[in-house]
Amino acid sequence: MRAHSQRILDTRKALIALVVLTVGACEFNIANPNSPPSIGPNATAATVNSATVGLLIALREDIPNWVQKSSILGREGYRLDTADPRFISELLQGPLDPSNNAFGGGQWTREYRTIQSGYSILNVIGTAQITDAQKEGVRGFVQTIQALAFLMVLNAHIQDSIPIDVNRAIDQSLAPFVSNDSAYKHVSLKLDSARTHLLAAGAAFVFDPGPGFTGFNTPATFLEVNRALKARVMAYRASLGALPAGTYTSPTGTWSACTVCWDSVITALSVGQSFMDTTAALDAGAYVAFGTGNQDTPNALSQNPQSAVNLAHPSVRTNAETQSASALLDKRYLAKVTQRVPPLSLSGHTSDLSWLRYPTPISPIPIIRNEELILLWAEARLGQGNNTEAARFINFIRRASGGLDSVTNLGAQPAATILDQLLKQRLYSLLYENGHRWIDMRRYGRLGQLPVDIPADKVFSSMPVNVFEVNARQ
Amino acid sequence: MAQRIWLVSLALSIGVAVGAAAQQRPISGKVVSATTATPIAGAGVSVVGTSIGAVTNDRGEFTLSAPQGAVTLLVRGVGYRSRQVPVAADASSVNVNLDQDVFNLEAVVVTGQATGVEQRNLANAVTTVPSEQLNRAPVQTIEGALQGKIPGALIQMNSGAPGGGGQINLRGVTTINGGVDPLIVVDGLVIANDAIQSNMDAITAAAAGGNPNPQDNAVNRIADLNPNDIQSVEVLKGASAASIYGAQAANGVIIINTRRGQPGKPRFSVTQRFGTSSAANTLGSRAFRDSADAVTVFKGDSALVGQLCRGGCPTFDNAGVLFGEHSLSVETDASVTGGNEQTTYFISGLVKKDGGIAPNTGYQKQSIRANLDQLLGSRFKVSVNLNALHSLAQRGISNNDNTGTSPFLVFPSTPSFVDLRAVNGVYPANPFSTSNPLQTFAELTNNEDVWRIIGTSTARVDAVTTSTQQLRFTLTGGVDYFSQRNDILSPADLQYEPQDGQPGTVVLGKASDLRLNLAGSAIHTYTPASGSFQATTSAGFQYQNKDFNRTNVVGRTIALGLRNVSQAASITSQQSLQPEKNLGLYGQEEVLTANQRLLLTAGVRADRGSVNGDPDKYYFYPKAAISYRLLQPLGGLDELKLRAAWGQTGNPPLFGARFILDSTAALGGQVGQLRPFRFGDTSIKPERNTEIEAGFDATFGQSATLGVTVYQKTITDLLLEQNLAPSTGYVSRIFNGGKLRNRGIEAALQYSPVRAADVSWILRSTFFLTRSKVQELPVPAYLTGGFALSLGSYFIQQGHSATQIVGSEGVVGDANPDFQMSFSSDLNYKRFSLGFLWDWKHGGDVINLTTLLYDAAANSEDWNTEGKTRWNTFLSGKTQPYVEDGGYLKLRELTLAYDLPPETASHFGVRTARLSLSGRNLLRFTSYKSLDPEVSNFGNQAIIRNIDVAPFPPSRSFFFSIDLGF
Repeated sequence: MRAHSQRILDTRKALIALVVLTVGACEFNIANPNSPPSIGPNATAATVNSATVGLLIALREDIPNWVQKSSILGREGYRLDTADPRFISELLQGPLDPSNNAFGGGQWTREYRTIQSGYSILNVIGTAQITDAQKEGVRGFVQTIQALAFLMVLNAHIQDSIPIDVNRAIDQSLAPFVSNDSAYKHVSLKLDSARTHLLAAGAAFVFDPGPGFTGFNTPATFLEVNRALKARVMAYRASLGALPAGTYTSPTGTWSACTVCWDSVITALSVGQSFMDTTAALDAGAYVAFGTGNQDTPNALSQNPQSAVNLAHPSVRTNAETQSASALLDKRYLAKVTQRVPPLSLSGHTSDLSWLRYPTPISPIPIIRNEELILLWAEARLGQGNNTEAARFINFIRRASGGLDSVTNLGAQPAATILDQLLKQRLYSLLYENGHRWIDMRRYGRLGQLPVDIPADKVFSSMPVNVFEVNARQ
Repeated sequence: MAQRIWLVSLALSIGVAVGAAAQQRPISGKVVSATTATPIAGAGVSVVGTSIGAVTNDRGEFTLSAPQGAVTLLVRGVGYRSRQVPVAADASSVNVNLDQDVFNLEAVVVTGQATGVEQRNLANAVTTVPSEQLNRAPVQTIEGALQGKIPGALIQMNSGAPGGGGQINLRGVTTINGGVDPLIVVDGLVIANDAIQSNMDAITAAAAGGNPNPQDNAVNRIADLNPNDIQSVEVLKGASAASIYGAQAANGVIIINTRRGQPGKPRFSVTQRFGTSSAANTLGSRAFRDSADAVTVFKGDSALVGQLCRGGCPTFDNAGVLFGEHSLSVETDASVTGGNEQTTYFISGLVKKDGGIAPNTGYQKQSIRANLDQLLGSRFKVSVNLNALHSLAQRGISNNDNTGTSPFLVFPSTPSFVDLRAVNGVYPANPFSTSNPLQTFAELTNNEDVWRIIGTSTARVDAVTTSTQQLRFTLTGGVDYFSQRNDILSPADLQYEPQDGQPGTVVLGKASDLRLNLAGSAIHTYTPASGSFQATTSAGFQYQNKDFNRTNVVGRTIALGLRNVSQAASITSQQSLQPEKNLGLYGQEEVLTANQRLLLTAGVRADRGSVNGDPDKYYFYPKAAISYRLLQPLGGLDELKLRAAWGQTGNPPLFGARFILDSTAALGGQVGQLRPFRFGDTSIKPERNTEIEAGFDATFGQSATLGVTVYQKTITDLLLEQNLAPSTGYVSRIFNGGKLRNRGIEAALQYSPVRAADVSWILRSTFFLTRSKVQELPVPAYLTGGFALSLGSYFIQQGHSATQIVGSEGVVGDANPDFQMSFSSDLNYKRFSLGFLWDWKHGGDVINLTTLLYDAAANSEDWNTEGKTRWNTFLSGKTQPYVEDGGYLKLRELTLAYDLPPETASHFGVRTARLSLSGRNLLRFTSYKSLDPEVSNFGNQAIIRNIDVAPFPPSRSFFFSIDLGF
């Protein structure tokens, strides 16, 4: 009996010891090993680099979707996808659904995340463990990218206002909506503020902007990209400001007229400011890079042309002109579009033209290129009333990029005719690139001229504001 | 008669007679069944008031040494009602007749970590499914074996793909964003039930187009278990029953007890099955008369159409050919059990290979188990359960995609006049779409290979055993380790492969999960000499350590014939680590009094976990319950038990919810970090589920029982995501809030019209309905799940059902069934037995996007009659045509068996032999237009179930089995 109770006592002791050991010695505060903490005060150079690369990744996220969606809205092409009828039923016929990022509710969430990622960096860069010049470099770069993100929102939302003062903590009240006009001014000011920082940024950045910015990865060369974007924004402002009142119903008023904006375009593109150069490659510029490396994103727009569902609109072929030296069509057309055998048709839309524009998964998408700058120069000259100069550069693009003949006596034509020619050259030069067609036709009030294939189709002038933004403010 | 095994043992232990100082006298006897006079082996005979006991042998005989004087023997046999038999001082032998316990009223049901009460006293609605009902017809995974057997449970498979993947939902919606699976406990060990995605998404790109939820048709790991090893399943449906499992038990607890050894000579049994399966439903497409008719739909390909439809359009049933295999399924199942009073063992093995209904699909499972119970001395008992499992599931490709690879996303745009079959072993390219599904299934490999080891060991010490008191300690340690390997190979010559510019794709996924459990209890039972009450006090702890590591590597651009990821030109990889710890402490008091008629229970559990915002804080989950048995209250009514119970359980936050960290990605060879879309909550805590239930159980003699329960559960501190204005840079933030209520009624009826020596017949029926309501929602109503409002989406809105479906025009349906019923019958006549089970779900809407895709392509089979109307109604802005009633009546199980007469059996050298024919899911009656109303594109989900996008078709299976006993 005594042996028994001894055994019982030992058992009980062991049990208690076990419980105590279990309860006491275990650390329950387990960190999440899968994610790094956000950039904070006193950041190291490596963290700054990581956050800046993160900013470019955030910017990149929405670009393929925007290129594809805007090309459909602007009638550059279609996506005839049997697995998802919304590319036709929503984007071509409507209504645009503001609840889905992939469709009508897009070009909002990802862009604001980019802007806020930028503020995450800007808010703490002051205490980072890098030199003051390097801090200025970060500021200039980040602000330029933020301006670009704001512009992407504006390019899709022309009839609504957007919030701009968004550098707030999550518990503060939401940034108020401002008019479209104010938002364009804000973007322009941001680019100028970035310029001030870039001029004080010394000779090199502390971070590596990656393969998309080859040739533009020092503060001095990146400033040229900044000025290029400024030229684009000023051209948009000028053309919107020149629209007759009531062209688009905008609850926040019309755009203020700005004829001097054309002058700003010329200033921004001048030698020593930006990289516009008729002797340099037309493709020179800043790009969004894609990759097939680990955790990198391939270009979702790359496709096998023979089985493709992202197709070009038939009017792109019908309106292409023949080259001067041969019977072939416009060089730009041949480089970006190819025949698809057999044609594909869905819900009343047919095409036998596949996009060739982004042939591989690592094909980059341009942010802004020399070719666009030359066309902006021509547009600004036209805006200033200098038809001869405008015609000279339009013809240059025709010859250098399209392999076409010059239009004789273009400079002597009425401004409207020159504008027609300019918009046509912009179509082919900037085909399937960043929604330029939709944006251009819209800012010149010509959406009615876009081809409509069947009576059920409609051309939209703007996407709606993301429904979650609207709901959060009620 | 089927032998059943003891569950958790009660206060009275069965031990070997301990040598006592006082004089002993031998008592021997025989225990037989009252109805059939067959001896009962393994019955426990104990002397009341002592710890002296014995177990009957194969012939029902027992011998024990009792103290001098008159004694009372308590005789208990599993499956029989216990009886107290007085033995006079001078009697030395006694014969005992035991009545069958047809409705398991005396079966012991678990009420705590290590305590149990008899079913007839139980204060909660706990459903016990014994192994005869579980294994009425062969089944691949245990979810299928439980369908239709548990009132209050909606068990639906997510698709027809082989190898599992189903959801067990107890008592309706319990959460919106939290975990949805019930806790699974096997022999005291909480086992892993994760569903790990295979990353078929690398081929289908399903998670890209507007809905980021994974749609890889994953299998949750309860599928690994061998249903033949299971002795019984107890389902704790409500919080009052499950609160003893605390913070993880909000969705209920399923307690699985595996078969234990039977004392006696070794008994060996073998089951050999042969069978096959076939598709229960596929979809056809529109038949075209001639090329003029076809060109109206396939406008762009008029030349090709003209060529294929020369002289009229032929029709080919490509879907029927793809899912038209009838491969052989074979299963071999063997077990041996035996032992003596001190040692009992149960060893089993399973080898199963099921063919699938499509090429390169199927399911294989192998299992080996050894359960050992060993008594050391009279006070110490050790049980060890070891189980090694291996399964290989080949599930093909199905569900949503954005690349035109999933068959029922390709068939809608492929006309019926195209023949996709191979010619001379070469599959034609599909000229109308991006892939040829027949080629895809012939060449695509999608293997999920799982190795799993589950081992538990329980030590039980009876420290004190007197006539009034007992003190027992138990300690259970367990290990559950599984390693899941997913191999997907999509060779470069598949039609769709070059689409992304990187022909050839190979995916290697490896996930490993190690769970360690340690649980200990102290149980004290006090029965005063007067016997007026019995009080059981228990307390203990439960510690769980989880280590989960998942990696997935996708290789693209890999040459034909190669399958190693290092041979791919570009590699992307991802890894997820989830370490987790949980600790629970509990205390419970159970008092059984008033002549075993009144049971009062109260208890509390305290839990802390590393996933909570404050990992050191304990959350308390109390419970209380009462039951009272009225004996003979009315004529015909033998017993009426009234019961009421209340309790709380929790649902833990998902891993990572308490952190606010960046996400990472790469660009140009550099890794960058950027803010995520979801803002975490550093003070996140578990959801709290408070439930009150009440009911009664009525017994009508030996012929019928009826149990009815009504319940209401209220869930507060829901894990919610508040949609933020995207201009903040975040899409949502996680927080606790809101209130969800769910109430329902369950009923279970068992009726035995005939029970004689020759014939026995038991009918069972269950009924269940539940309704949910979002009572408080501190955020604006929001869309959750689905693809877009116009395509049908779920909408969480205050004052409405949590599972309401909305479309462009408003509310269009609700995924919650109106009610569910099941009917089963088990009839034994002489040597024949016939059993079947019908499962009826009435109502419960499904978002049918598969039919929408057929209609969008003007290619649905009924286009000219109803399809056109549906589509035009949809185009006019209505979602209703594609939100259909998903009700069904299915014949889940049907078995016809014949037991060979003993003489014939011994002629073949066996003790018993049984031949049977069985089938599963043989018949279905439904008005649903797509493949099957039991479907979930997004797998196991709290709210967004019942979305149908190109699932794997359902199948039915038939088996012929031979069971031999040696």
